[in-house]
Amino acid sequence: MKILVFAQIRDDKIEENTLGILNKVNEVFKDSEISASLFGSNIKEEWIKQLGVHGAKKVYTIDVPELEYYLSRPNVKALSKVIDEIQPTIIIAAGTVYGEDLLPRVAIRRGVSCAQRITDITKEGEEILFYTPVRDDQAMKVQKITGDIKFVTTRTGAFFVNENPTGEEPEVISVDITFEEKDLLVKHVEIKKAEVTVNLKDAKVIVAGGRGVGGKDQFAILKELASILGGQIGATRACTDMNWVEETYEIGQTGQSVSPDVYIAAGISGAPQHISGIKAKTLIAINTDEGAAIFNYADYGIIGDLHIILPLLKQKISD
Amino acid sequence: MKIIVFIRQIVNPQVKLQGVDYFDTSRISEDDLIINPFDKNALEGALKLKDSESAEVTAICVGGIKPSKAVREAIAMGCNDAVEVVDDNYYLEDPMILAKIYSKIVEKIGDVDLIFTGCEEQSSSSYAVPAMLAELLDIPSVLYAEEIEKTVDRFRISHVLEGGRKIVEMPMRGLISCTDSQYFVPRYTSMRGILTSKRAQIPQWSNEDLKLDEATVCENAASLTVSSFSNIVIEKDSYILKEEEPDEMVDKLLAKLKEDNIKLGV
Repeated sequence: MKILVFAQIRDDKIEENTLGILNKVNEVFKDSEISASLFGSNIKEEWIKQLGVHGAKKVYTIDVPELEYYLSRPNVKALSKVIDEIQPTIIIAAGTVYGEDLLPRVAIRRGVSCAQRITDITKEGEEILFYTPVRDDQAMKVQKITGDIKFVTTRTGAFFVNENPTGEEPEVISVDITFEEKDLLVKHVEIKKAEVTVNLKDAKVIVAGGRGVGGKDQFAILKELASILGGQIGATRACTDMNWVEETYEIGQTGQSVSPDVYIAAGISGAPQHISGIKAKTLIAINTDEGAAIFNYADYGIIGDLHIILPLLKQKISD
Repeated sequence: MKIIVFIRQIVNPQVKLQGVDYFDTSRISEDDLIINPFDKNALEGALKLKDSESAEVTAICVGGIKPSKAVREAIAMGCNDAVEVVDDNYYLEDPMILAKIYSKIVEKIGDVDLIFTGCEEQSSSSYAVPAMLAELLDIPSVLYAEEIEKTVDRFRISHVLEGGRKIVEMPMRGLISCTDSQYFVPRYTSMRGILTSKRAQIPQWSNEDLKLDEATVCENAASLTVSSFSNIVIEKDSYILKEEEPDEMVDKLLAKLKEDNIKLGV
Protein backbone atom coordinates (compact mmCIF):
# COMPACT_ATOMS: atom_id res chain seq x y z
CA MET A 1 0.00 0.00 0.00
CA LYS A 2 1.10 3.55 -0.70
CA ILE A 3 0.48 6.50 1.57
CA LEU A 4 0.91 10.16 0.71
CA VAL A 5 1.31 12.79 3.43
CA PHE A 6 0.63 16.42 2.43
CA ALA A 7 3.50 18.21 4.18
CA GLN A 8 2.99 21.78 5.40
CA ILE A 9 5.38 24.54 6.39
CA ARG A 10 4.81 26.89 9.32
CA ASP A 11 7.28 29.54 10.48
CA ASP A 12 9.90 28.36 8.01
CA LYS A 13 9.84 24.79 9.36
CA ILE A 14 7.97 21.60 8.64
CA GLU A 15 4.79 21.99 10.65
CA GLU A 16 4.72 19.70 13.71
CA ASN A 17 1.49 17.91 12.84
CA THR A 18 2.98 16.72 9.56
CA LEU A 19 5.80 15.05 11.51
CA GLY A 20 3.25 13.57 13.93
CA ILE A 21 1.32 12.07 11.02
CA LEU A 22 4.51 10.56 9.54
CA ASN A 23 5.19 8.93 12.88
CA LYS A 24 1.64 7.59 13.12
CA VAL A 25 1.41 6.14 9.61
CA ASN A 26 4.83 4.51 9.97
CA GLU A 27 3.52 2.85 13.12
CA VAL A 28 0.13 1.70 11.77
CA PHE A 29 1.11 0.82 8.20
CA LYS A 30 4.48 -0.83 8.70
CA ASP A 31 5.01 -2.33 5.27
CA SER A 32 3.70 0.57 3.27
CA GLU A 33 5.53 2.97 1.04
CA ILE A 34 5.20 6.34 2.72
CA SER A 35 5.76 9.48 0.66
CA ALA A 36 5.31 13.16 1.32
CA SER A 37 4.43 15.99 -1.01
CA LEU A 38 6.08 19.36 -0.47
CA PHE A 39 4.96 22.43 -2.39
CA GLY A 40 6.37 25.92 -2.32
CA SER A 41 8.79 28.37 -3.79
CA ASN A 42 12.45 27.89 -2.87
CA ILE A 43 11.93 24.66 -0.99
CA LYS A 44 14.71 24.12 1.50
CA GLU A 45 16.96 21.10 1.58
CA GLU A 46 16.54 20.82 5.37
CA TRP A 47 12.74 20.44 5.07
CA ILE A 48 13.17 17.49 2.70
CA LYS A 49 15.76 15.92 5.02
CA GLN A 50 13.48 16.36 7.99
CA LEU A 51 10.60 14.60 6.21
CA GLY A 52 12.96 11.72 5.46
CA VAL A 53 14.24 11.49 9.03
CA HIS A 54 10.66 11.30 10.25
CA GLY A 55 9.79 8.46 7.92
CA ALA A 56 9.03 9.63 4.38
CA LYS A 57 10.81 7.35 1.90
CA LYS A 58 10.12 9.65 -1.04
CA VAL A 59 9.42 13.36 -1.20
CA TYR A 60 7.57 14.75 -4.22
CA THR A 61 8.41 18.41 -4.59
CA ILE A 62 6.83 21.11 -6.74
CA ASP A 63 8.92 24.25 -6.49
CA VAL A 64 7.34 27.16 -8.40
CA PRO A 65 6.62 30.83 -7.61
CA GLU A 66 2.84 30.27 -7.81
CA LEU A 67 3.06 27.98 -4.77
CA GLU A 68 4.93 30.42 -2.55
CA TYR A 69 1.75 31.11 -0.58
CA TYR A 70 -1.03 28.61 -0.11
CA LEU A 71 -4.00 29.18 -2.40
CA SER A 72 -6.67 26.53 -2.95
CA ARG A 73 -6.72 26.06 -6.70
CA PRO A 74 -2.98 25.82 -7.41
CA ASN A 75 -2.62 23.37 -4.54
CA VAL A 76 -5.55 21.26 -5.79
CA LYS A 77 -3.77 21.00 -9.11
CA ALA A 78 -0.40 20.25 -7.52
CA LEU A 79 -1.67 17.56 -5.15
CA SER A 80 -3.77 15.98 -7.91
CA LYS A 81 -0.68 15.76 -10.06
CA VAL A 82 1.32 13.99 -7.33
CA ILE A 83 -1.57 11.61 -6.69
CA ASP A 84 -1.59 10.73 -10.40
CA GLU A 85 2.10 9.87 -10.15
CA ILE A 86 1.92 7.77 -6.99
CA GLN A 87 -1.60 6.28 -7.05
CA PRO A 88 -1.72 6.14 -3.24
CA THR A 89 -4.41 4.40 -1.18
CA ILE A 90 -4.39 7.00 1.59
CA ILE A 91 -3.81 10.74 1.28
CA ILE A 92 -3.52 12.36 4.67
CA ALA A 93 -3.02 15.95 5.85
CA ALA A 94 -3.00 17.76 9.17
CA GLY A 95 -6.30 19.53 9.80
CA THR A 96 -4.85 23.00 9.70
CA VAL A 97 -6.74 25.69 7.80
CA TYR A 98 -4.84 24.70 4.64
CA GLY A 99 -5.19 20.95 5.16
CA GLU A 100 -8.94 21.25 5.72
CA ASP A 101 -9.24 23.51 2.70
CA LEU A 102 -7.36 21.22 0.36
CA LEU A 103 -8.25 17.59 0.98
CA PRO A 104 -12.04 17.73 0.51
CA ARG A 105 -11.47 19.55 -2.80
CA VAL A 106 -9.11 16.94 -4.20
CA ALA A 107 -11.32 14.17 -2.82
CA ILE A 108 -14.52 15.27 -4.53
CA ARG A 109 -12.63 15.74 -7.80
CA ARG A 110 -11.97 11.99 -7.56
CA GLY A 111 -15.63 11.34 -6.70
CA VAL A 112 -15.01 10.38 -3.08
CA SER A 113 -15.52 11.85 0.37
CA CYS A 114 -13.05 12.71 3.09
CA ALA A 115 -12.69 11.55 6.71
CA GLN A 116 -12.45 14.66 8.86
CA ARG A 117 -10.49 15.59 11.99
CA ILE A 118 -9.49 12.08 12.94
CA THR A 119 -7.67 11.39 16.20
CA ASP A 120 -6.84 7.78 15.41
CA ILE A 121 -6.48 5.40 12.50
CA THR A 122 -6.32 1.61 12.66
CA LYS A 123 -5.86 -1.26 10.29
CA GLU A 124 -7.58 -4.54 11.04
CA GLY A 125 -6.89 -7.04 8.29
CA GLU A 126 -7.76 -5.23 5.09
CA GLU A 127 -10.06 -2.81 6.86
CA ILE A 128 -8.88 0.72 7.61
CA LEU A 129 -10.86 2.63 10.21
CA PHE A 130 -10.88 6.37 10.88
CA TYR A 131 -11.84 7.76 14.30
CA THR A 132 -13.49 11.17 14.63
CA PRO A 133 -14.66 12.45 18.03
CA VAL A 134 -17.94 14.37 17.86
CA ARG A 135 -20.32 16.17 20.24
CA ASP A 136 -17.54 17.94 22.16
CA ASP A 137 -15.53 14.73 22.37
CA GLN A 138 -18.30 12.84 24.13
CA ALA A 139 -18.81 10.31 21.33
CA MET A 140 -16.58 8.57 18.81
CA LYS A 141 -17.63 8.06 15.22
CA VAL A 142 -15.64 5.30 13.56
CA GLN A 143 -15.83 5.49 9.78
CA LYS A 144 -14.74 3.63 6.69
CA ILE A 145 -14.12 5.03 3.26
CA THR A 146 -15.25 2.88 0.37
CA GLY A 147 -13.17 2.67 -2.78
CA ASP A 148 -9.50 2.50 -3.63
CA ILE A 149 -8.52 6.01 -2.61
CA LYS A 150 -9.04 7.48 0.86
CA PHE A 151 -8.67 11.12 1.87
CA VAL A 152 -8.17 11.98 5.52
CA THR A 153 -7.45 15.04 7.67
CA THR A 154 -6.31 14.74 11.25
CA ARG A 155 -7.17 16.86 14.23
CA THR A 156 -4.19 19.06 15.01
CA GLY A 157 -2.27 17.85 18.04
CA ALA A 158 -3.65 14.30 17.64
CA PHE A 159 -0.35 12.55 16.91
CA PHE A 160 2.96 12.79 18.67
CA VAL A 161 6.18 13.66 16.93
CA ASN A 162 8.78 10.93 17.27
CA GLU A 163 11.52 12.40 19.49
CA ASN A 164 14.15 9.98 18.16
CA PRO A 165 13.39 9.49 14.50
CA THR A 166 15.63 7.12 12.59
CA GLY A 167 14.61 7.68 8.99
CA GLU A 168 17.06 8.19 6.18
CA GLU A 169 17.57 10.71 3.44
CA PRO A 170 14.55 10.40 1.15
CA GLU A 171 14.45 10.02 -2.59
CA VAL A 172 13.42 13.36 -4.08
CA ILE A 173 11.14 13.48 -7.10
CA SER A 174 10.62 16.88 -8.62
CA VAL A 175 7.27 17.25 -10.40
CA ASP A 176 6.56 19.79 -13.15
CA ILE A 177 3.41 21.84 -13.28
CA THR A 178 1.95 24.76 -15.22
CA PHE A 179 -0.88 27.00 -14.17
CA GLU A 180 -3.47 28.82 -16.21
CA GLU A 181 -5.09 32.15 -15.50
CA LYS A 182 -8.21 30.46 -14.15
CA ASP A 183 -6.15 28.63 -11.51
CA LEU A 184 -5.05 31.96 -10.09
CA LEU A 185 -8.32 33.87 -9.64
CA VAL A 186 -7.95 34.11 -5.87
CA LYS A 187 -4.88 36.18 -5.08
CA HIS A 188 -2.65 36.30 -2.05
CA VAL A 189 -2.44 39.77 -0.47
CA GLU A 190 -0.66 39.38 2.83
CA ILE A 191 -0.28 37.33 5.99
CA LYS A 192 -0.74 39.22 9.23
CA LYS A 193 1.06 37.35 11.93
CA ALA A 194 -0.41 37.66 15.39
CA GLU A 195 1.90 39.88 17.33
CA VAL A 196 3.59 37.69 19.89
CA THR A 197 4.82 40.04 22.58
CA VAL A 198 4.44 37.56 25.41
CA ASN A 199 5.94 34.11 25.14
CA LEU A 200 3.56 31.72 26.86
CA LYS A 201 5.63 28.66 25.96
CA ASP A 202 7.81 28.96 29.04
CA ALA A 203 5.06 29.96 31.50
CA LYS A 204 4.78 27.53 34.41
CA VAL A 205 1.30 28.68 35.40
CA ILE A 206 -1.40 29.91 33.03
CA VAL A 207 -4.79 31.29 34.02
CA ALA A 208 -6.80 31.16 30.81
CA GLY A 209 -10.24 32.47 30.03
CA GLY A 210 -12.86 31.65 27.41
CA ARG A 211 -16.19 33.03 26.32
CA GLY A 212 -17.53 32.44 29.84
CA VAL A 213 -15.40 35.30 31.14
CA GLY A 214 -17.91 37.63 29.54
CA GLY A 215 -15.94 40.78 28.72
CA LYS A 216 -12.80 42.82 28.74
CA ASP A 217 -13.19 44.13 32.30
CA GLN A 218 -13.89 40.67 33.64
CA PHE A 219 -10.42 39.55 32.54
CA ALA A 220 -9.00 41.63 35.42
CA ILE A 221 -9.52 38.84 37.94
CA LEU A 222 -7.64 36.39 35.71
CA LYS A 223 -4.75 38.83 35.48
CA GLU A 224 -4.71 39.35 39.26
CA LEU A 225 -4.74 35.61 39.93
CA ALA A 226 -2.02 34.97 37.34
CA SER A 227 0.10 37.69 38.89
CA ILE A 228 -0.19 36.23 42.40
CA LEU A 229 0.72 32.78 41.07
CA GLY A 230 3.67 34.16 39.13
CA GLY A 231 2.12 33.07 35.85
CA GLN A 232 0.57 34.43 32.70
CA ILE A 233 -2.93 34.78 31.39
CA GLY A 234 -4.14 32.99 28.30
CA ALA A 235 -7.31 33.06 26.23
CA THR A 236 -9.30 31.29 23.56
CA ARG A 237 -9.59 32.73 20.07
CA ALA A 238 -13.12 33.94 20.82
CA CYS A 239 -11.73 36.26 23.51
CA THR A 240 -8.92 37.69 21.41
CA ASP A 241 -11.30 38.07 18.48
CA MET A 242 -13.65 40.16 20.63
CA ASN A 243 -10.66 42.20 21.83
CA TRP A 244 -11.17 41.22 25.45
CA VAL A 245 -7.40 40.58 25.56
CA GLU A 246 -4.54 41.12 23.12
CA GLU A 247 -4.13 38.40 20.52
CA THR A 248 -0.67 37.48 21.80
CA TYR A 249 -2.48 35.62 24.61
CA GLU A 250 -4.36 33.29 22.28
CA ILE A 251 -3.73 29.61 23.01
CA GLY A 252 -4.74 26.81 20.66
CA GLN A 253 -4.52 25.70 17.06
CA THR A 254 -4.34 29.23 15.70
CA GLY A 255 -2.46 30.70 18.66
CA GLN A 256 0.42 29.66 20.87
CA SER A 257 1.10 26.13 22.09
CA VAL A 258 1.81 25.91 25.81
CA SER A 259 3.06 23.31 28.28
CA PRO A 260 2.75 24.74 31.79
CA ASP A 261 2.79 22.84 35.08
CA VAL A 262 -0.63 24.22 35.96
CA TYR A 263 -3.32 25.41 33.55
CA ILE A 264 -6.41 26.99 35.04
CA ALA A 265 -9.19 27.03 32.43
CA ALA A 266 -11.93 29.46 33.43
CA GLY A 267 -15.10 29.70 31.37
CA ILE A 268 -13.54 27.60 28.62
CA SER A 269 -15.79 25.01 26.97
CA GLY A 270 -12.91 22.88 25.74
CA ALA A 271 -13.21 23.05 21.95
CA PRO A 272 -10.62 20.86 20.21
CA GLN A 273 -9.10 23.93 18.53
CA HIS A 274 -8.18 25.29 21.96
CA ILE A 275 -7.27 22.00 23.64
CA SER A 276 -4.84 21.08 20.88
CA GLY A 277 -2.57 23.91 22.05
CA ILE A 278 -2.29 22.72 25.66
CA LYS A 279 -0.01 20.12 27.15
CA ALA A 280 -0.31 20.85 30.86
CA LYS A 281 0.87 18.66 33.73
CA THR A 282 -2.21 19.66 35.73
CA LEU A 283 -5.40 21.13 34.31
CA ILE A 284 -7.93 22.78 36.61
CA ALA A 285 -11.29 23.67 35.04
CA ILE A 286 -13.88 26.10 36.31
CA ASN A 287 -17.12 26.18 34.37
CA THR A 288 -20.85 26.46 35.10
CA ASP A 289 -21.65 23.79 32.51
CA GLU A 290 -21.06 20.32 33.87
CA GLY A 291 -21.27 18.86 30.36
CA ALA A 292 -18.50 21.11 29.02
CA ALA A 293 -15.81 19.13 27.21
CA ILE A 294 -13.10 20.80 29.30
CA PHE A 295 -13.99 18.46 32.18
CA ASN A 296 -12.91 15.51 29.99
CA TYR A 297 -9.38 16.87 30.20
CA ALA A 298 -9.44 18.34 33.70
CA ASP A 299 -7.54 16.78 36.58
CA TYR A 300 -9.39 19.02 39.01
CA GLY A 301 -12.49 21.04 38.54
CA ILE A 302 -15.19 23.15 40.07
CA ILE A 303 -18.62 23.34 38.52
CA GLY A 304 -19.42 26.91 39.34
CA ASP A 305 -19.27 30.52 38.26
CA LEU A 306 -15.72 31.71 37.62
CA HIS A 307 -16.70 35.22 38.67
CA ILE A 308 -17.28 33.89 42.17
CA ILE A 309 -14.69 31.08 42.28
CA LEU A 310 -11.67 33.03 40.99
CA PRO A 311 -11.94 35.91 43.52
CA LEU A 312 -12.26 33.33 46.31
CA LEU A 313 -9.27 31.44 45.00
CA LYS A 314 -7.25 34.63 44.80
CA GLN A 315 -8.22 35.68 48.31
CA LYS A 316 -7.46 32.28 49.86
CA ILE A 317 -4.11 31.98 48.11
CA SER A 318 -3.12 35.50 49.21
CA ASP A 319 -4.03 34.62 52.80
CA MET B 1 -26.21 40.66 -6.64
CA LYS B 2 -27.86 37.31 -5.98
CA ILE B 3 -26.73 35.44 -2.88
CA ILE B 4 -27.57 31.98 -1.57
CA VAL B 5 -26.89 31.03 2.04
CA PHE B 6 -26.87 27.33 2.85
CA ILE B 7 -27.95 26.72 6.43
CA ARG B 8 -28.38 23.53 8.40
CA GLN B 9 -30.60 22.84 11.32
CA ILE B 10 -28.92 21.16 14.27
CA VAL B 11 -29.79 20.24 17.83
CA ASN B 12 -28.76 23.00 20.21
CA PRO B 13 -25.39 21.98 21.69
CA GLN B 14 -26.64 23.37 25.04
CA VAL B 15 -29.27 20.62 25.33
CA LYS B 16 -28.65 18.25 28.21
CA LEU B 17 -28.10 15.17 26.08
CA GLN B 18 -24.65 13.67 26.37
CA GLY B 19 -22.72 11.70 23.77
CA VAL B 20 -24.68 9.58 21.30
CA ASP B 21 -27.98 10.56 22.94
CA TYR B 22 -27.50 14.00 21.43
CA PHE B 23 -27.88 12.47 17.97
CA ASP B 24 -31.03 10.50 18.90
CA THR B 25 -33.71 12.51 17.14
CA SER B 26 -36.52 10.82 19.11
CA ARG B 27 -35.33 12.64 22.24
CA ILE B 28 -35.43 16.09 20.69
CA SER B 29 -38.21 18.66 20.92
CA GLU B 30 -38.74 21.51 18.48
CA ASP B 31 -37.39 24.01 21.01
CA ASP B 32 -34.02 22.27 20.88
CA LEU B 33 -33.57 22.94 17.17
CA ILE B 34 -31.39 25.82 16.07
CA ILE B 35 -29.62 27.03 12.95
CA ASN B 36 -26.04 25.75 12.99
CA PRO B 37 -24.26 28.72 14.65
CA PHE B 38 -21.64 29.09 11.89
CA ASP B 39 -24.45 29.20 9.32
CA LYS B 40 -25.93 32.11 11.25
CA ASN B 41 -22.56 33.83 10.85
CA ALA B 42 -22.91 33.15 7.11
CA LEU B 43 -26.42 34.66 7.12
CA GLU B 44 -24.95 37.76 8.73
CA GLY B 45 -22.25 37.97 6.06
CA ALA B 46 -24.87 37.83 3.29
CA LEU B 47 -27.19 40.29 5.03
CA LYS B 48 -24.38 42.82 5.39
CA LEU B 49 -24.16 42.75 1.57
CA LYS B 50 -27.93 43.08 1.38
CA ASP B 51 -27.61 46.25 3.47
CA SER B 52 -24.70 47.74 1.52
CA GLU B 53 -25.20 46.42 -2.03
CA SER B 54 -28.94 45.72 -2.12
CA ALA B 55 -28.16 42.03 -2.64
CA GLU B 56 -31.01 39.54 -2.85
CA VAL B 57 -30.49 36.87 -0.21
CA THR B 58 -32.08 33.42 -0.31
CA ALA B 59 -31.62 30.98 2.58
CA ILE B 60 -31.72 27.27 1.82
CA CYS B 61 -32.07 24.55 4.41
CA VAL B 62 -31.54 20.96 3.31
CA GLY B 63 -32.78 18.29 5.71
CA GLY B 64 -33.30 18.92 9.42
CA ILE B 65 -36.04 17.79 11.75
CA LYS B 66 -38.15 20.90 11.20
CA PRO B 67 -36.45 22.99 8.51
CA SER B 68 -39.37 25.44 8.34
CA LYS B 69 -38.27 26.77 11.74
CA ALA B 70 -34.76 27.44 10.44
CA VAL B 71 -35.78 29.13 7.21
CA ARG B 72 -38.39 31.30 8.93
CA GLU B 73 -35.74 32.48 11.34
CA ALA B 74 -33.49 33.28 8.37
CA ILE B 75 -36.26 35.40 6.85
CA ALA B 76 -36.87 37.06 10.22
CA MET B 77 -33.19 38.02 10.25
CA GLY B 78 -33.67 39.73 6.90
CA CYS B 79 -33.35 37.22 4.03
CA ASN B 80 -35.59 38.00 1.05
CA ASP B 81 -36.81 34.45 0.72
CA ALA B 82 -36.04 30.86 1.58
CA VAL B 83 -36.43 27.28 0.40
CA GLU B 84 -36.71 24.04 2.36
CA VAL B 85 -35.35 20.93 0.72
CA VAL B 86 -36.48 17.63 2.16
CA ASP B 87 -36.24 14.19 0.67
CA ASP B 88 -36.15 11.05 2.78
CA ASN B 89 -33.89 9.30 0.29
CA TYR B 90 -31.11 11.85 0.63
CA TYR B 91 -28.23 10.63 2.78
CA LEU B 92 -26.85 13.77 4.37
CA GLU B 93 -24.20 12.25 6.63
CA ASP B 94 -21.66 12.18 3.81
CA PRO B 95 -20.38 15.68 3.00
CA MET B 96 -19.87 14.65 -0.63
CA ILE B 97 -23.58 13.90 -1.04
CA LEU B 98 -24.62 17.14 0.65
CA ALA B 99 -22.26 19.05 -1.64
CA LYS B 100 -23.83 17.36 -4.68
CA ILE B 101 -27.30 18.38 -3.53
CA TYR B 102 -26.17 21.97 -2.87
CA SER B 103 -24.57 22.12 -6.28
CA LYS B 104 -27.82 21.06 -7.94
CA ILE B 105 -29.75 23.69 -5.97
CA VAL B 106 -27.36 26.42 -7.15
CA GLU B 107 -27.86 25.24 -10.71
CA LYS B 108 -31.66 25.19 -10.35
CA ILE B 109 -31.82 28.68 -8.89
CA GLY B 110 -29.47 29.97 -11.58
CA ASP B 111 -27.45 33.18 -11.96
CA VAL B 112 -26.13 33.00 -8.42
CA ASP B 113 -23.31 35.45 -7.73
CA LEU B 114 -22.26 34.48 -4.26
CA ILE B 115 -22.69 31.51 -1.97
CA PHE B 116 -22.30 31.82 1.78
CA THR B 117 -22.17 29.01 4.29
CA GLY B 118 -20.83 28.30 7.77
CA CYS B 119 -17.26 27.01 7.99
CA GLU B 120 -18.39 23.81 9.68
CA GLU B 121 -21.30 22.02 11.25
CA GLN B 122 -20.99 22.17 15.01
CA SER B 123 -21.22 18.92 17.00
CA SER B 124 -20.52 16.69 13.99
CA SER B 125 -17.35 18.69 13.28
CA SER B 126 -17.98 18.35 9.54
CA TYR B 127 -16.21 21.08 7.60
CA ALA B 128 -15.77 19.55 4.14
CA VAL B 129 -18.96 20.68 2.38
CA PRO B 130 -17.98 24.28 1.41
CA ALA B 131 -14.69 23.14 -0.15
CA MET B 132 -16.41 20.31 -2.03
CA LEU B 133 -19.20 22.58 -3.25
CA ALA B 134 -16.74 25.15 -4.61
CA GLU B 135 -15.00 22.40 -6.58
CA LEU B 136 -18.22 20.93 -7.97
CA LEU B 137 -19.28 24.37 -9.14
CA ASP B 138 -15.73 25.19 -10.23
CA ILE B 139 -15.87 28.65 -8.69
CA PRO B 140 -13.34 30.69 -6.66
CA SER B 141 -13.72 30.34 -2.91
CA VAL B 142 -12.31 31.46 0.41
CA LEU B 143 -12.92 29.37 3.51
CA TYR B 144 -12.78 30.27 7.22
CA ALA B 145 -13.44 33.95 6.45
CA GLU B 146 -13.28 36.41 9.34
CA GLU B 147 -14.01 39.65 7.56
CA ILE B 148 -15.08 40.81 4.12
CA GLU B 149 -14.31 44.13 2.52
CA LYS B 150 -15.62 45.08 -0.90
CA THR B 151 -13.18 46.84 -3.19
CA VAL B 152 -14.13 48.16 -6.64
CA ASP B 153 -14.58 44.81 -8.32
CA ARG B 154 -13.37 42.22 -5.84
CA PHE B 155 -13.72 41.07 -2.27
CA ARG B 156 -10.78 41.44 0.05
CA ILE B 157 -11.24 38.68 2.60
CA SER B 158 -9.39 38.05 5.81
CA HIS B 159 -9.44 34.41 6.91
CA VAL B 160 -8.26 32.44 9.89
CA LEU B 161 -4.71 31.13 9.78
CA GLU B 162 -2.60 29.39 12.38
CA GLY B 163 -0.59 32.10 14.12
CA GLY B 164 -2.49 35.05 12.65
CA ARG B 165 -4.69 35.81 9.69
CA LYS B 166 -4.33 35.88 5.96
CA ILE B 167 -5.75 38.30 3.45
CA VAL B 168 -6.69 37.27 -0.07
CA GLU B 169 -8.67 38.79 -2.90
CA MET B 170 -11.46 36.96 -4.65
CA PRO B 171 -13.60 37.84 -7.68
CA MET B 172 -17.15 38.87 -6.80
CA ARG B 173 -18.64 35.59 -7.97
CA GLY B 174 -17.68 32.73 -5.70
CA LEU B 175 -18.13 30.99 -2.36
CA ILE B 176 -17.26 32.16 1.15
CA SER B 177 -17.41 30.07 4.33
CA CYS B 178 -17.69 32.04 7.56
CA THR B 179 -16.32 31.68 11.09
CA ASP B 180 -17.76 33.06 14.32
CA SER B 181 -15.66 36.23 14.16
CA GLN B 182 -16.65 39.63 15.45
CA TYR B 183 -17.56 40.72 11.90
CA PHE B 184 -20.05 37.89 11.45
CA VAL B 185 -21.84 38.19 14.82
CA PRO B 186 -25.42 37.46 13.76
CA ARG B 187 -28.04 40.17 14.09
CA TYR B 188 -31.18 39.66 16.11
CA THR B 189 -34.48 39.08 14.43
CA SER B 190 -36.65 42.19 14.36
CA MET B 191 -40.36 42.32 15.19
CA ARG B 192 -41.03 43.32 11.59
CA GLY B 193 -38.86 40.47 10.38
CA ILE B 194 -40.75 37.98 12.51
CA LEU B 195 -44.07 39.17 11.10
CA THR B 196 -42.70 38.94 7.55
CA SER B 197 -41.42 35.44 8.20
CA LYS B 198 -44.83 34.31 9.48
CA ARG B 199 -46.50 35.45 6.27
CA ALA B 200 -43.76 34.19 3.95
CA GLN B 201 -44.59 31.46 1.47
CA ILE B 202 -41.77 28.97 1.69
CA PRO B 203 -41.38 26.57 -1.21
CA GLN B 204 -40.60 22.97 -0.34
CA TRP B 205 -38.46 21.09 -2.78
CA SER B 206 -37.77 17.40 -2.96
CA ASN B 207 -35.90 15.34 -5.51
CA GLU B 208 -38.85 15.73 -7.84
CA ASP B 209 -37.78 19.33 -8.17
CA LEU B 210 -34.02 18.81 -8.12
CA LYS B 211 -34.06 15.71 -10.35
CA LEU B 212 -30.79 14.29 -9.09
CA ASP B 213 -30.01 10.69 -9.98
CA GLU B 214 -31.18 9.08 -6.74
CA ALA B 215 -28.51 6.42 -6.95
CA THR B 216 -25.90 9.17 -6.44
CA VAL B 217 -27.42 10.75 -3.32
CA CYS B 218 -28.87 7.83 -1.35
CA GLU B 219 -27.16 5.95 1.46
CA ASN B 220 -25.66 3.41 -0.93
CA ALA B 221 -23.85 6.20 -2.74
CA ALA B 222 -21.96 7.27 0.39
CA SER B 223 -18.21 6.90 0.28
CA LEU B 224 -17.91 7.70 3.97
CA THR B 225 -19.83 5.19 6.08
CA VAL B 226 -20.18 4.80 9.82
CA SER B 227 -18.78 1.59 11.16
CA SER B 228 -19.54 2.25 14.83
CA PHE B 229 -20.74 5.10 16.97
CA SER B 230 -20.40 5.03 20.72
CA ASN B 231 -19.78 7.13 23.78
CA ILE B 232 -16.22 7.92 24.75
CA VAL B 233 -15.57 6.58 28.20
CA ILE B 234 -13.19 8.82 30.06
CA GLU B 235 -10.96 6.80 32.29
CA LYS B 236 -9.32 9.85 33.73
CA ASP B 237 -9.63 9.95 37.48
CA SER B 238 -10.48 13.57 38.03
CA TYR B 239 -11.48 15.43 41.14
CA ILE B 240 -14.53 17.53 40.29
CA LEU B 241 -16.47 19.53 42.86
CA LYS B 242 -20.07 20.61 42.42
CA GLU B 243 -23.28 21.61 44.15
CA GLU B 244 -21.61 23.00 47.24
CA GLU B 245 -21.06 26.51 48.51
CA PRO B 246 -18.35 28.20 46.42
CA ASP B 247 -16.33 28.90 49.53
CA GLU B 248 -16.31 25.22 50.54
CA MET B 249 -15.45 24.07 47.03
CA VAL B 250 -12.46 26.40 46.82
CA ASP B 251 -11.24 25.23 50.25
CA LYS B 252 -11.59 21.59 49.23
CA LEU B 253 -9.82 22.18 45.94
CA LEU B 254 -6.86 23.86 47.62
CA ALA B 255 -6.67 21.13 50.25
CA LYS B 256 -6.74 18.40 47.60
CA LEU B 257 -4.05 20.13 45.53
CA LYS B 258 -1.89 20.34 48.63
CA GLU B 259 -2.49 16.68 49.41
CA ASP B 260 -1.51 15.71 45.86
CA ASN B 261 1.59 17.86 46.09
CA ILE B 262 0.57 20.20 43.33
CA LYS B 263 1.94 23.68 43.65
CA LEU B 264 -0.35 26.33 42.27
CA GLY B 265 2.17 29.14 42.20
CA VAL B 266 5.67 29.37 40.82
